[in-house]
Amino acid sequence: MFKSTNLDMFTFPFTNFKNKTYRYSNDLVELSGDKVNFMKITPEYKAQIKRKREMLEKQPEVRYQSFPHTMEMQWEFVELLIDLSTAKYPEHFSVEKDGDQWTFTNHILEETEVFTFGDESSIDLEPYDMIGRHFHHDYMLMVNRDDNFYLEVAQESFAALFSPHWNLGMSFDEIHGPVPFVSRDGIDLVDRIRKFLLTIEPGVPRTRVNWNLMADRWDVNYETMDVWGPQREKVTPENAGELVHLRVEEQWFIRMPRSNAILFVLDTQFLPMEDLIKRPEWLEITYFNLADIPDYMAEYKGMAPFLPQTVEYLKNLIDSMKEKDKQEKGEEHFVQ
Amino acid sequence: MYSSPVLYDQSETIKEKLAFNNKRKKHLIIYDQQALSDVKQALAAESQNDVDYEQFEIDSRNLHDLRALLYSQKMGTHLYIASDWDHAVTVFTEAVEAGFTEDEIQTIIYGPKRRYIYCMKCYQKSEINPEAETVQCVHCDAHMEVGPFFSKVRKGYIGYPFIPN
Ligand code: HEM
Ligand SMILES: [Zn+2]
Repeated sequence: MFKSTNLDMFTFPFTNFKNKTYRYSNDLVELSGDKVNFMKITPEYKAQIKRKREMLEKQPEVRYQSFPHTMEMQWEFVELLIDLSTAKYPEHFSVEKDGDQWTFTNHILEETEVFTFGDESSIDLEPYDMIGRHFHHDYMLMVNRDDNFYLEVAQESFAALFSPHWNLGMSFDEIHGPVPFVSRDGIDLVDRIRKFLLTIEPGVPRTRVNWNLMADRWDVNYETMDVWGPQREKVTPENAGELVHLRVEEQWFIRMPRSNAILFVLDTQFLPMEDLIKRPEWLEITYFNLADIPDYMAEYKGMAPFLPQTVEYLKNLIDSMKEKDKQEKGEEHFVQ
Repeated sequence: MYSSPVLYDQSETIKEKLAFNNKRKKHLIIYDQQALSDVKQALAAESQNDVDYEQFEIDSRNLHDLRALLYSQKMGTHLYIASDWDHAVTVFTEAVEAGFTEDEIQTIIYGPKRRYIYCMKCYQKSEINPEAETVQCVHCDAHMEVGPFFSKVRKGYIGYPFIPN
């Protein structure tokens, strides 16, 4: 299991929830200019790509789904990823375009993709699947029809109850059917957020952060419920620091200019509970929020069987941190 | 179409009783033997209203005519399907193919409805007892809880796998 090692690159999810605890809301926000490009190469890049490709190879039906009529949109996606990666990391990614003949080079992995842009027969995989395997994100393409969005292509390797296979073809509303999607004031959010998504324009993506807790796992999907369901019981206040991970999804919603589809990009990051102590403020905010998760949310997120143990672990960690602080201050006093 | 509507046991098109939609210009009623007397009664009750009705009795030999009939409808036709489950599925599927949307279809089912589960272990569909809360997959033997969500692409309710105690 990999974890975020550069905490400056870790997306801490509760920055907006210091005074009020986390609830579902329309938390989509605009991005500042330098954040529009979602490419991010962290020290974990190689480990992430290795795992993502293993998933796609071992479970192609589970991890990748598309409708046959999406090829033009898939090429638009290829172009976007190549543009963004070469713009942000020219030292890691480069492209040569000779008319339709494109050569994309990934210098980190020392790999080259040579293809005829727009011609699926020039590559072995589908275009979306091919280019997506160079970047660690998960990618969902939601096609805009009749004021709704329909999932028509998906490549996924870190699921939190996400299944490309199951969700294929579903509308935004159908996909969110299982979510107890109400605001603090009891307002139903599905309709409101769908309408908001309709207003997103090309070049002005939106972002939000979703979070969950995982008990010793990378992902939980419906396909493996029989496995991870029972595993959750093994968490105790003693082992929670190591087993339980804060799982963060930094999400982008991007309007594709040609197809008008919304591309949903997820950057999934993990931090074990025990590492929160490296940022004492994060530790306290996480405890403040987790101690106040309503039952319906804990149930839905799948964390109900180990949330109390995790909260207890965090409380103990904070107490011991404060105790240590006190002692250190005391010692300083003594020395003076 | 890729995520076309399908007829399933909780389809919004299913109604208890035939009830004509007065906003429509034309009513096309497709029924089987079981629904015959109800359809006759409903039509008799409407006889004084000046609306356009067309009826068609379906049996296994006239599928070709059924298709031609559905394709020949103009905008503004409301479709009523009154039959047993299997006939209804046939008509519904043909109608969607011919361009009808769910808003334009009313379905009245005679006899039991069928229910299908989609196994998340083996990605295969099977018919289940509509009352069952848990079932075992006939393809891979996995135990599944019958979920409340339906996929039009997979044509079944989600089956959440679990290991029985
Ligand atoms: C448009 C593309 C989107 C896709 C494809 C998508 C997909 C999903 C999926 C598959 C799930 C899990 C559903 C399940 O339990 O089976 C989910 C959950 C959720 N989604 Fe979305 N979503 C999208 C947009 C959004 C937006 C714009 C928001 C909010 C502003 C949002 C908020 C949520 C929340 C709060 C959950 C519950 C997650 C949790 O509590 O951990 N989604 N989404
Ligand atoms: Zn099965």
